[in-house]
Amino acid sequence: MSNLYLPQLVTIDEIIDETPDVKSFKLVFQDEKLRDSFTFKTGQFALYSAFGLGESTFCIASPETRKGYVQCTFRKMGRVTGGLFDLSVGETMGFRGPYGNAFPIDEWKGKNIVFISGGIALPPVRSVIWSCLDNRKDYGDITIVYGARTVIDLVYKNELKEWEEASDINLVQTVDPGGETPEWKGKVGFVPTILEESAPDPKNTIAVVCGPPIMIKFSLQALEKLGYTTEQVYTTLENKMKCGIGKCGRCNVGDIYVCKEGPVYTATEVKGMYNDF
Amino acid sequence: MANKLLKKEDLDRLIVDVNSKGGVFVAPKSEARLVAYKPVSGVADIEFEYIIPRNSFKEYMFPQTEVVANYEIKKDGVDLNDVQVDAPKTVVFGARPCDAVSVASLRSVFTWDFIDEFYTKREDALVVLTVACIKADDECFCTTVGVKPDQTDGSDVMLMLTEEGDYVAEAITDRGTEFLKEHADVFTNAKDVKTLPVVDVKPIEGVDLGKIDAFLKDTEHYDEDFWAEVARKCAGCGACTYSCPTCHCFDITDEGTFNKGERRKNWDACQFDQFTLHASGHNPRDTQYKRWRNRFMCKFNIYPKKFEKKGCVGCGRCIRVCAVRLDITEVMLAASAKK
Repeated sequence: MSNLYLPQLVTIDEIIDETPDVKSFKLVFQDEKLRDSFTFKTGQFALYSAFGLGESTFCIASPETRKGYVQCTFRKMGRVTGGLFDLSVGETMGFRGPYGNAFPIDEWKGKNIVFISGGIALPPVRSVIWSCLDNRKDYGDITIVYGARTVIDLVYKNELKEWEEASDINLVQTVDPGGETPEWKGKVGFVPTILEESAPDPKNTIAVVCGPPIMIKFSLQALEKLGYTTEQVYTTLENKMKCGIGKCGRCNVGDIYVCKEGPVYTATEVKGMYNDF
Repeated sequence: MANKLLKKEDLDRLIVDVNSKGGVFVAPKSEARLVAYKPVSGVADIEFEYIIPRNSFKEYMFPQTEVVANYEIKKDGVDLNDVQVDAPKTVVFGARPCDAVSVASLRSVFTWDFIDEFYTKREDALVVLTVACIKADDECFCTTVGVKPDQTDGSDVMLMLTEEGDYVAEAITDRGTEFLKEHADVFTNAKDVKTLPVVDVKPIEGVDLGKIDAFLKDTEHYDEDFWAEVARKCAGCGACTYSCPTCHCFDITDEGTFNKGERRKNWDACQFDQFTLHASGHNPRDTQYKRWRNRFMCKFNIYPKKFEKKGCVGCGRCIRVCAVRLDITEVMLAASAKK
């Protein structure tokens, strides 16, 4: 019998301390066949197990273009993420996925892309960013607007540096007022404000917005002011999930099951939803 | 096939036959003065005087708790073991038509796209022997949601009570035909028997499923005070969801000792305040009326629209068990009156 709820075992191959409470894991499937055959689409998510504590849902943070492993980045928040946080390189955890829909990056070929993200919401966007950068010539201008509460809370600091130095990426970094350090060279201000200031041209452009609900709300308003239509804007809904496969009944927004029909939506789709997220 | 007769006195043989072959015979049984679908070992266990058991028989397809995997954390890794469903043939005798109708609803959730074999293997091993209703109570409202007291959908065999207290049996599905054949010594030919009339349940005047649908479909109505008003008294206990035959929500948790345990699927309820709580502290349904609104949406919008199945079968359990008497039919009536 096929067991939908049975996770795959993965070994933690590498751990990066992103912030004092955020870590990134590089995970390798213990089943060698799966290691070669596993594929996913950028934007999809998975359920990660700390055995004895349970499962937690977050995105696959690595790009679809890189095979043989998956990465995840998570903040220590509750029981499961607390348990995962305590694991070391070489230890085993569970992986169930990939689930959900994806960002249609193939349809975006030839277009400019603006990535807008805040705090711990960079991981899903990072998957899309690298998926596009790995085929850089397929896309036009790439702009990344990323902010966090404080300098310490910025994740993927090494990659931010890399993107900053790259001549074909326009990276705008910001921290919330009060979150800056004397050495901080980036902007100071909330993501939506900085987004409006940097004013990426809406012509032939796709915007990807991921962040806390309040950041998404004001970033969508900022994009509207800049002349973006809701069809040009993609975002993700991050609802609580237990099964990931449309059965357990908690991620629904009205009749929409985020785990199956999402988590990626256009702003047009989000606008038409019940106020239940 | 001609109708068959099941004599009450032969029920014992049927029960023993099913149970002795490794099956489970489930029937209404009185426990602590409440009638519930329970496994029985003889006719003496069965309660015949009942309107509807307090539980639905969904627990025989979708158990309240079930193991989906076993794990053991060792020094050099984790031993993870798959679990096979133990699905003995389960005969539900004395099912009510409303409960039988709900089987298709549950199946739709557990099989859309991803097939949950923990559910399907059990449901496939189920034989539903439904007894048409000759009585109803004030909470029964099947006809209001388009279910009849002698509806056959979801039943494998339909049983009609006779004046003598026996049953006229009609096979509805192939599984039912098979069952009657298998137990041909118990199901004899029916001749000159009079069945009792089916109860006449009047649809609640003013309730209009079309109007409820139109009201729910319009996302603008979602933020109206209506919801806070109708659901204000809800205590959030979740009793309605546990007794509901179509409620399917569950949690997945690890239960065990420090290094060893089971991963389980456990019933959960959309009425609980932590059900949709995010790790960040954000909760899309942060007040009780939003959680109650979701349940109503599930019954009258999500199930019919997404799965083309009945979300509510009118069994009335949620009204009977509600400690604050939040009557779903009153909300249906109020929603029917909305523009």
